Amino acid sequence: MPTEHSWTELVRGVADLRALLAFRASGLTDRVRVRLRIAGGVVLALTVAAIVVPAYLKGPLQARHASQFVAVLPSLYLGFFALAVLAAIASGGGREVVPREQAVAFPVSSVTEHFGALLLAPLNIAWLIQAWSVLGLTMYVVGPHDVAAAAAPLLLWIAFSTAAGQAVGWVFEGIRRGAHGILLARLIAGSTIALVVVLIATDRFVPLLDRSPTVRIYLAAAYGTGNQWWLWARPVAVMVVMVVVATVIGLVPARWALHRALREELRLESGRIEPRPNPRSDLRALVRVDRASIWRAVPLRRGLLVLAFMPGLVAVAGSLHWDMITILPGLVASGGALLFGVNTWCLDGRGALWRDSLPVSASVAYYAKVIVLFEVLLAAAGLTILLAALRAGPPSTAELTSALAAALVVATQVVAAAMRWSVERPYATDMRSARATPAPPVVMAGYSARLALRTTVVGLVFSATAVAPDGRWAVLVAVPLLCWSGWRLVRTEALWAVPEVRARVIAVVAS
Amino acid sequence: MESVERRERVRVRALWVRFGSVEAVRGIDVSAYAGRATALLGRNGAGKSTTMRVLAGVVPPTDGDVQVDGVDVRVDPLTVKRSVGYCPDVGGLVPRATPWEHLQLAARLRRMEGWETRAQDLLERFELGDAAHRVTGGFSHGMGRRLSVVLAAFHRPGVLLLDEPFDGVDPLGVEATQQVIDDAKARGAAVLISTHLRDLAMTSCEDALVLRGGSAVAALDSAELVGEAGARAYRALLD
Repeated sequence: MPTEHSWTELVRGVADLRALLAFRASGLTDRVRVRLRIAGGVVLALTVAAIVVPAYLKGPLQARHASQFVAVLPSLYLGFFALAVLAAIASGGGREVVPREQAVAFPVSSVTEHFGALLLAPLNIAWLIQAWSVLGLTMYVVGPHDVAAAAAPLLLWIAFSTAAGQAVGWVFEGIRRGAHGILLARLIAGSTIALVVVLIATDRFVPLLDRSPTVRIYLAAAYGTGNQWWLWARPVAVMVVMVVVATVIGLVPARWALHRALREELRLESGRIEPRPNPRSDLRALVRVDRASIWRAVPLRRGLLVLAFMPGLVAVAGSLHWDMITILPGLVASGGALLFGVNTWCLDGRGALWRDSLPVSASVAYYAKVIVLFEVLLAAAGLTILLAALRAGPPSTAELTSALAAALVVATQVVAAAMRWSVERPYATDMRSARATPAPPVVMAGYSARLALRTTVVGLVFSATAVAPDGRWAVLVAVPLLCWSGWRLVRTEALWAVPEVRARVIAVVAS
Repeated sequence: MESVERRERVRVRALWVRFGSVEAVRGIDVSAYAGRATALLGRNGAGKSTTMRVLAGVVPPTDGDVQVDGVDVRVDPLTVKRSVGYCPDVGGLVPRATPWEHLQLAARLRRMEGWETRAQDLLERFELGDAAHRVTGGFSHGMGRRLSVVLAAFHRPGVLLLDEPFDGVDPLGVEATQQVIDDAKARGAAVLISTHLRDLAMTSCEDALVLRGGSAVAALDSAELVGEAGARAYRALLD
């Protein structure tokens, strides 16, 4: 008897998810378990801090800027929802608890896939930072009176956005997998972007945001601190229902999407690729194969396109000034590295063994990967700056130098970190599916946090140089940072040149 | 003077390979001669693939002496890689590159000129001509194995290392592989074949080395492992 969409299937799906998580956990060493517990504790502590600390800062800071924050809070809530939708779409519906090629022998249902993707959605530094922003800014505005009641609607909104975003992500993935799905998906994405551009160009974007219904979330939080329990309870109850409905309703598009063929992947694998002229150097030959491995992988291609355009469009929508534009290259470079760079040899997949048997120096093979990663990150960061510049107006010399130096420095910094991680902690991953990641989700969360922290700090430093009288300050800051990253790259190359290290990396990624 | 046929092209003495606390290969000796094929036989985990990887220059030996055409693999791995053609046991193909791009890369790094005709000929012989410009990620297991053999034999190496070349390959692919092995022997190459398919190995090989638990337990003439009697002898060596 078919049990799909039944209570039995739901219970079984949750039980299967527990089994998959246990399977994942079984491969962890004691040291990794300890580190994971610490990381989980830090995230929990930061979340509690994001709720409590700003609330108690309101008094000492005499509610400075509170009225300005109130004005942006509805847009911030909406922004979180947009982020959840975009993250789910970009990851092909959502991340996998166990990679497809490892789970292929097991009957993993779409229920398990859906709940697994929901569980993994917060393992993303962009999600965490946005969630902490939502909590922190609102709590600062509403103050310390009954913190738990004020935080409840915010936490429910975060849960609802994630669940609804996931459902939209599955719908988009289902459309993409259909006949003419890629064309349709591009039309939807293009139309949405065009709509936002038109709204911005006609100065209707901000008024529209001001009318956002998400203002009710702020009101619910405020009622919680104002002892207006009935006014607080009603929206909270509605939001509880919304969370449950969004979670359960997501099962329908999840099942629909996951039962459709991977059309884009199959098209790439069955299509003819015109041969190109013979490469004129060893390095070019290796770089060419690596470039092909990026642009012919669905998750990498899609991720890079999102990274190249979305931050730039957000900058245009937010009308960012040049001193803030310097932060964008860091976000883009971090995102780009997270697509494949943190486990660069995964581009070779099982071909790594054959590739390493070819007569070419380890150094040339290493720098081929460095070049490919660096050019991808720099191109995406450059495009972001270009888009942001459309609305930021003509820059001063210091602003332009700072933005370009920031792009160059963070790209080098991220490449150095990513190459180090690639050599020290390789993973066997098949980057075929749009849902694939180059490392396990928990590891990815750790990488994204570290990259975001480092590149944001660098971006802020260049924000400061952007307001300097001329561009020399940016250059003065950039040179030592570039030297540091260059030295790190050379050190990793020395590590890669050790045959035992190389053999371990190759054996892992090719397994 | 030593005859051409008995020239030792592969010389492995007291090879040890350790991965942490695991000893994958424990002091084995292997010799492979010009114009002859040697089968490496044994159960899973016997050390066959690790030995092949050492000879291909992919895994460094922990201890022992490994020479290919008189060149120490530890001292000059690049020269060894130029002499060797290697078909790995798993995958062996870059998933999003086409067969032609694999050949292009190999030709460039091996300094081959005018390689296109041979590449085309090999692809046709292995019935991969129609798939030459498709990414290998969409290949069946057998197609992947066949292409790996093509890539190993492409530059006419002095030492041909084939790790499980017959695994999942159809009869026509097996014939083409055996043809490649015969061609290699005819031009004086030493061939090492690691496989679980004893009967197939015996049709192409003159010598056999049986490994167990990382050690060599017998070096035999392939005739001793043919047929029912050979199967019994082989079975006895595995326990």
